[in-house]
Amino acid sequence: MAGSKFVYVVIIRSTPEKIWEALTKPEFTRQYWAGTTQKSDWKKGSSWAVYTPDGRLWDSGEILEVDYPRKLVLTWRKEPGKFPEMTAEGYSRLTYELTPDPLGIKLTLTHEMDVENSKLIGAVSQGWPSVLSSLKTFLETGTPLENSGKWPEGL
Amino acid sequence: MSKYVYVTYIRTTPQKLWYALTKPEFQKQYWYGMHQDCDWKKGSSWAMKFTDGRTADAGEILEVDPPRRAVIKWRNEFRPELKAEGFSQCTYEIDPDGDICRLTVTHEIGVENAKLIDAVSGGWPRILSSLKTILEGGEALPRTHSTAA
Repeated sequence: MAGSKFVYVVIIRSTPEKIWEALTKPEFTRQYWAGTTQKSDWKKGSSWAVYTPDGRLWDSGEILEVDYPRKLVLTWRKEPGKFPEMTAEGYSRLTYELTPDPLGIKLTLTHEMDVENSKLIGAVSQGWPSVLSSLKTFLETGTPLENSGKWPEGL
Repeated sequence: MSKYVYVTYIRTTPQKLWYALTKPEFQKQYWYGMHQDCDWKKGSSWAMKFTDGRTADAGEILEVDPPRRAVIKWRNEFRPELKAEGFSQCTYEIDPDGDICRLTVTHEIGVENAKLIDAVSGGWPRILSSLKTILEGGEALPRTHSTAA
């Protein structure tokens, strides 16, 4: 199938439960994910949304699949506003998979969309490595990477 | 043409990251016990060695600019189907920002659907995850300090 896809793998010295918590709970995401908050009850069919630190709705979608603490799939669309060309692409799909690995817990993130050369996938490809690097640092050392909890100026 | 890119952000300095990438005693801690024989000068030979001394990969240094950039000409030497694909190119780029470094590893070869790139795509996230853990003050992730092969 034609489309765009970004895949990132990181091994984290932690437990699947702690990684799941860090990916979904606002008190954790705020610290390493640009100060953002996600709102959802994390049940299949429920809505899901990302809010900026000043309370603006930034991305939203729906939970497609939940298999705690192994797999989470959701749809993801850029909310109308700063990036109309990304919003126009419609819904992408994000999958987190947590699997035991000889080295630790392997987190595989797949962000994909049925659009060739997607601008949204291009943009998130730049963001995910820093978000997940800071997540790993946060879980392994107790503090996230410097400035990773700050929203970018001007956005 | 096949290409794999991995980007990671590490709380360290460019000098420490360069040291960790190039010094055998450091490499052994996170690269499955393997190390690289090289003096890291342009045109010098480069070889990845198993713990028992066999050569896993070999090539030469195409470009070097410590502690920012290195380009390695890289061929697998122990799996015939990978060796047959010839030389790939592996680039390390280190970009500091405050007390963090962004490390970008780009591994590419002029062969469609290359088996070598497929193989290293599985290896780089593990090696660089363990490298990041060590540089940020932890012990190496289990098993990356001994040969897995």
